Amino acid sequence: MTRSVRAAAIIAALIGSVAVSACSNASDRTTVLAPGVESPPPQDVGAHKKEMAALGLKYKTAVELFQGLRDQAKGGQRLSWSTLPDWSGTYTRTLAPGFAFDPDQPPDGLPTAKLTPEYRAKMIKRVEDAKKGIEWDPISTCAPPGHPRWLTEPFLREFIVTPDQTWLINEMVNDIRRIYTDGRDHVPAADRYPLYDGDSIGFWDGHKLVIHTNQLRAGIYQRSQPDYTDQVETVEIWQKADDKTLAADVWVYDPPALVEPWYVRQTYQRLSDPEKNLRIRYWDCAENQNNSVFQTNTGSTQFKDFTFTKDGQKGKP
Amino acid sequence: MRTSIVRAALAVAALLASGSPLLAHHSAAMFDDKKTVEFEGVVKEFQLTNPHSWLLVDVTNKDGSVTTWGFEAEGPSTLTRAGIRPSELPVGTKLRISGHPMKDGRPAATWMEATRLSDGRKFNPLAGFAVR
Repeated sequence: MTRSVRAAAIIAALIGSVAVSACSNASDRTTVLAPGVESPPPQDVGAHKKEMAALGLKYKTAVELFQGLRDQAKGGQRLSWSTLPDWSGTYTRTLAPGFAFDPDQPPDGLPTAKLTPEYRAKMIKRVEDAKKGIEWDPISTCAPPGHPRWLTEPFLREFIVTPDQTWLINEMVNDIRRIYTDGRDHVPAADRYPLYDGDSIGFWDGHKLVIHTNQLRAGIYQRSQPDYTDQVETVEIWQKADDKTLAADVWVYDPPALVEPWYVRQTYQRLSDPEKNLRIRYWDCAENQNNSVFQTNTGSTQFKDFTFTKDGQKGKP
Repeated sequence: MRTSIVRAALAVAALLASGSPLLAHHSAAMFDDKKTVEFEGVVKEFQLTNPHSWLLVDVTNKDGSVTTWGFEAEGPSTLTRAGIRPSELPVGTKLRISGHPMKDGRPAATWMEATRLSDGRKFNPLAGFAVR
């Protein structure tokens, strides 16, 4: 069997497995809700996205949107251990082309954000440079991805729900976002300083977790994606879309970079693990010298010395 | 939902077709995705580390010298999802392995696919990104 035929067979098998999963999900829309809690997921996702994008446009800031959602929920509910939703399991983000922040970005298209001219120019340059083989990722130094980029990373995830806090865990660099649902407010403005994952408070609206995050550092949404500034704030609504899927409606507000809030819908799939092989381990990003890279004078990426080569050794293909 | 599923499936398909690692820690700019190298060799060491794992393979050149090649893949959890365990590729395992080589000529490449010669079993790290 040739390599191309083998690759085609693997691709067909994978698409088949995804399609089966999709059919299964479509026929299994019932999410088991705790007694007295009603929070059904959207049935028409396309219409839902349009509705949510339009909702974001009604508010000038993330704070106003968050407050609007809280008012709509009449302040939200305080859940008890017996009424929390079941988000247990090991998940991963549904793979998007090139890790795009918006899963709806066409595979060969540009990011869907409506950017200010300055940030659009930056993004176009990044995309064009990447096509020329010039690319550098700030997390190459082992810095955390930071939020909202946190939403895009493709590794294992766990979601730990308690009455007072929810932990959104990304395996990569042991990255945990703590969402406080005990009624506290954000840190006073005078005491804020930039954080990789920001400061997140939230409330429950049925089985929907509504989150506001501020106090973030500047970063990039992903490689070949736009920059965001340290004024970025997000509002998210997380809920089960079906038994195997957690979905997050996300609005990003960032006035220097975005001319309007960037709405995206992220989904995370619970992985089948019948043999219980999946475990999230401590992630030491610097444990292997062979992964050390530096930024070249052209702005691209290059490995430092490998442990397995002699000085000046070249391969002999 | 159907559109998203199709897009995700296409993303996986494109990934496998390209053979490029997702390389969530660093760019793959140092690799030449227009070239592919393929060798038969012997496993020297399997470094299961984050953010990337390395399979070191001793390859005997035509002149009889031996070059140790490093093949880069994602970290241990992604390899687990791909069904790749260290016990499957112990030191001394004979295999055929392919990948995109580095542009600067150093003996390192992405790990596209390895085939264990004893039984023909294939090991493709990128399969670890499929959702099952």
